[in-house]
Amino acid sequence: MATSLRERFELLGCIQCGRCTAGCPVSLRTYLNVRKVVYEGVTGSGPRDATGRPEAWNCTTCSNCTDRCPKGVKPMELLIGLRSAAIERGKAQPTVRDALESTLKHGNPWGRIRDKRMDWAEGLDVPVAGEGEKARLLFYVGCTSAYDPLAQAGSRALAAVLAAAGVKYATLGTAESCCGSEIRRMGEDGLFELLSEGNREMFRDRGVETIVTNSPHCMNTFRNEYGEHGITVLHYSQLLAGLLDDGSLKLGTSVDMKVTYHDPCFLGKHNHIYDEPRRVLRAIPGITFVEMDRSRERALCCEGGGGRMWVEPPKERGERLADLRVKDAVALGAARIVTACPFCLKTLDDAVKTSGNEGKIAPIDLAELVAMAL
Amino acid sequence: MNIVVCVKQVPETAEADLKLAPDGKGIVKEGLPLQINESDNYALEQALLLTEEHGGDVTVVTLGPGSSDEVLRMSMAKGAREAVRLGGAEFERGDAVAVARALAAGLKGLSYDLVLTGCVSSDEGHTQVGVALAECLGIPHATYVVQMEMGDGEVTVGRELEGGLIEKLLLKLPCVLGIQTGINEPRYASIMGIAKASKREIALKGASDVGLDAGAVGEAGSRTRIVALSYPPAGEKAEILEGTPPEVSAKLAGVLKEKGFV
Repeated sequence: MATSLRERFELLGCIQCGRCTAGCPVSLRTYLNVRKVVYEGVTGSGPRDATGRPEAWNCTTCSNCTDRCPKGVKPMELLIGLRSAAIERGKAQPTVRDALESTLKHGNPWGRIRDKRMDWAEGLDVPVAGEGEKARLLFYVGCTSAYDPLAQAGSRALAAVLAAAGVKYATLGTAESCCGSEIRRMGEDGLFELLSEGNREMFRDRGVETIVTNSPHCMNTFRNEYGEHGITVLHYSQLLAGLLDDGSLKLGTSVDMKVTYHDPCFLGKHNHIYDEPRRVLRAIPGITFVEMDRSRERALCCEGGGGRMWVEPPKERGERLADLRVKDAVALGAARIVTACPFCLKTLDDAVKTSGNEGKIAPIDLAELVAMAL
Repeated sequence: MNIVVCVKQVPETAEADLKLAPDGKGIVKEGLPLQINESDNYALEQALLLTEEHGGDVTVVTLGPGSSDEVLRMSMAKGAREAVRLGGAEFERGDAVAVARALAAGLKGLSYDLVLTGCVSSDEGHTQVGVALAECLGIPHATYVVQMEMGDGEVTVGRELEGGLIEKLLLKLPCVLGIQTGINEPRYASIMGIAKASKREIALKGASDVGLDAGAVGEAGSRTRIVALSYPPAGEKAEILEGTPPEVSAKLAGVLKEKGFV
């Protein structure tokens, strides 16, 4: 690499104010000091790849540092860049290596075969657009929502809600491949390019005009990292809010439940979608919705992003953030912690168990809650 | 120290519902992703680690169709210097000895102190190619190698035996070692690295290029052949344990005890 980190990531704007570190949710519990990483990038005194700076793998790419920087520096991209330099040299921890190799082989980081990608839809009438067939409104399921049993429930619920609202859509079936969001964040730029080229080609072939995703991570990458493609990209909470507004989606069953909402970082901080999920929640008859103190822009990250589903994070201390999140929700007396992201769903589900709150609270995908109200 | 690593491309079958091919002598490979044979990947890593420590180059050799070049490129992306593919219709459907004979001929002219293979292929699972290769080359061999310590013109290896026993052997170089999984942690080959490696040359050799008659390799050169493949008969021994996790655990422990497994 000829260019310095300073040039590649435009670090000279940094005034060392430290807002990045102050806002970094994992600085509470890891040895990652974002300000210091940027400083050493400016002076050229630090390691040039994550092999020499393992704490770069602690980052969840929640975007707090980048959002809060008063000088427009992007420390998060620097941390991803350090990972990329390690990956290019083949330095990947086994879980990351396996996720990357699986994505190349099977189109998903979970090590599951392509043939089973539509297993979540078994028994449901979910339309599939084959080669050359049109999918003007594409429901992009995403790897985790396709394969993970917990997240599959959200996919099934969303399919039921779309059917109830009479929405004409199609999926890509087993031809769907990973969006590449977590692949890029694990530092595999080449594989990300490969996936994004393949997906753009697939979208063109199917005549896609609008994509609706289960996961905010897929949405973010299609929207902000795929270059110009002219396709409208929505998170399903936005689609559902629109369907409620125009009257095509009617919620007639009362769901008598006290719930709170956990903002996924890639929906909120990355894309400023705070209102639609709340509008959908409030439209559910019978629901009592209470806000956590740390919500919207101030929401606490669950640590599920940035490839962290596959990263064995180095040295940590203190409580996991998802545990804190669950405790906050329990303190509010909520029976359910609603979210709209498969990674959040998984990390919160783990946290319910590790924080000893099983039976008191459970995470649920927003789509599942909406399906209960049909 | 120069090392030759013999690698093979195999279909990944871990989660796949395998179907028998119409001729009943193989499986339908269409739709199965192809990858480096698992223990070969460990053999490659071992070679790379050894040359990083002791100097020298790694050459990867495979026998297979054009798609096998992917495995060679991945190996070069990880650090192998040269790559050779024995390819051509004459090599098809060879048994373990025919494959070993071809590999031995392919190794002529290469300088090596060690030949590493995986200890078993995940598709046909003969566990014979490494041993037969050593016989063809007239050099010593060891299989299921999980430990290695280089000496002066010799190597001490640990072989994995049953019940957690390790057998220590001292072998003179050059020798053939069948590497067992778990001996190291294979590195990752990045897509950028593979793309760069794809510009490098792979030496393609047919039987005549390595001085063999077509009748000595492939099906013609094999003494064994697959007569038929069949599914194992379905038994009626499966028992589904039901209940809460603690109940199921207790039942499972009971079954294991009853059958004498613990």
